[in-house]
Amino acid sequence: MGPWGFVLLAYGIVWGAIVLYSLSLRRRYRRAEEELVRLRESEAGQIRAQK
Amino acid sequence: MGEFSNSSGKRKGYLGALALIAILFGLYWGLLQAPADAFQGEVQRIMYLHIPSILTAYLSFFLVFVGSCLYLWKREKRDDILAYSAAEIGVLFTALTIVEGSIWGKPTWGVWWTWDARLTLTAILLLIFVGYLMLRSLIEEESRAAASAAVLGIIGFLDIPLIHMSVYWWRTLHQPPSILRPDKAPWENIHPAMLTALAINFVAFVLLYFYLLSHRFRLGEMLEEIRTRKLRRDT
Amino acid sequence: MELLTQTFLLLRKDLLLEIRRRESLLTMFFFGTLLLFVFHFAFDLGPERVGQMAAGLLWLAFLFTGTLGLAQLFEGERDNHCLEALLLSPLDRGAFFLAKTCFNLILMVLVEIVVIPLFWILFNLRSWEVIPHLFLIALLGTVGFCVLGTLLAAMTLKARARELLLPLVLFPLMIPVILSTIRCMEAILRNGSIDDALPWLRLLIGFDVIFLTVGVLIFDWVIEV
Repeated sequence: MGPWGFVLLAYGIVWGAIVLYSLSLRRRYRRAEEELVRLRESEAGQIRAQK
Repeated sequence: MGEFSNSSGKRKGYLGALALIAILFGLYWGLLQAPADAFQGEVQRIMYLHIPSILTAYLSFFLVFVGSCLYLWKREKRDDILAYSAAEIGVLFTALTIVEGSIWGKPTWGVWWTWDARLTLTAILLLIFVGYLMLRSLIEEESRAAASAAVLGIIGFLDIPLIHMSVYWWRTLHQPPSILRPDKAPWENIHPAMLTALAINFVAFVLLYFYLLSHRFRLGEMLEEIRTRKLRRDT
Repeated sequence: MELLTQTFLLLRKDLLLEIRRRESLLTMFFFGTLLLFVFHFAFDLGPERVGQMAAGLLWLAFLFTGTLGLAQLFEGERDNHCLEALLLSPLDRGAFFLAKTCFNLILMVLVEIVVIPLFWILFNLRSWEVIPHLFLIALLGTVGFCVLGTLLAAMTLKARARELLLPLVLFPLMIPVILSTIRCMEAILRNGSIDDALPWLRLLIGFDVIFLTVGVLIFDWVIEV
């Protein structure tokens, strides 16, 4: 592997990993959002039912 | 996205945009504008990743330390979230530092791994980060986990200088200093374009780090809210 | 001094329990000895190589034996809500930390007193006169191990996979102790004196002092009900 090969390998792995991490972060974000919406609505529903 | 975007979301957006611009600039300077090294050739360009990476890794650990101290002092959940988030992103950057160092080492020294001080220390740092995250997640009760992790964060931070000293002494007393080490830039002869590339990439990494950290922190806050709402619901 | 009196009281309790049942001491002793046998088979230690590797092998044996001791360190407090009772009492938590550290230290030292001469016998080493010096270094290293180990053992009391987690977290933090102790021991084995390795000795003592202090101060937050 020539010198540029190593350079591109390093840069590729680094930025690839950062992109993958960002995507995983976004996915966890979305899931947490949905869960929170569900929890907040069910809580509001409980309060309404008590009244 | 309605109820979840707020002014801090906009700030994160600006930070992200800034980071992206800096990253692109850094790529341009590092890969194209800066000249190849006289001795190592093109491979030396990995330095523009390696040095910023390791600095952000240590920055991360410092933030773990700060979060840990604040948490033990004030017991506010957000300090625990800060420490935990910094540790997670710290693992990412530390692992990347090791990979970069290894890839740089192969054409330079001929081997994928060597037990030189810098690589060994980074590997130890990774182990400590991973241990921290495992401790944090394997303890069932939330406040116990946060407190124990905080103590570990402080102990780890205090230990790092001692680990540095011992590993450096061990390596320098055993081997003659090698002529060219990828982690020692020849500051006297460094080309100004290389310095610029290094500086830009450093700024890019720091911006990127805080961008990722802010999002991870927000995620941590949401997860905490989920946890407390579930607790409230189930009691 | 109040702290020392309390430490002594707690230590005395643990020692009395141990003298009666001898669980920890016997398992640690046999494990340490067993490791020596395993080393012989694993490393094919002829007389030429043993001298070079002695320090590292000994310290390895002590590390693993010590980890065994740490795993059992808080066993006495597990049943009958003993731990809660101790924490509710007006005892200084720092004393609790010192007592547990000393207890593990005493166990390990007893094992070392036996294992070091045993190593010399099993591997036909000559230089018997360095053993007291070696023992002193091992003592300093063991202090460092027990201090950090007790802290982490307390922190991982309620963790899942505790037997794996404790070494995983402990060993990287122990690297200064491992390196210093082995370098000092090597110097003694080579020259009979520690002069070559004085910086390492200072590092080792520094480590012990720092984390002993940190441990006493921070133990309050480590062990809560």
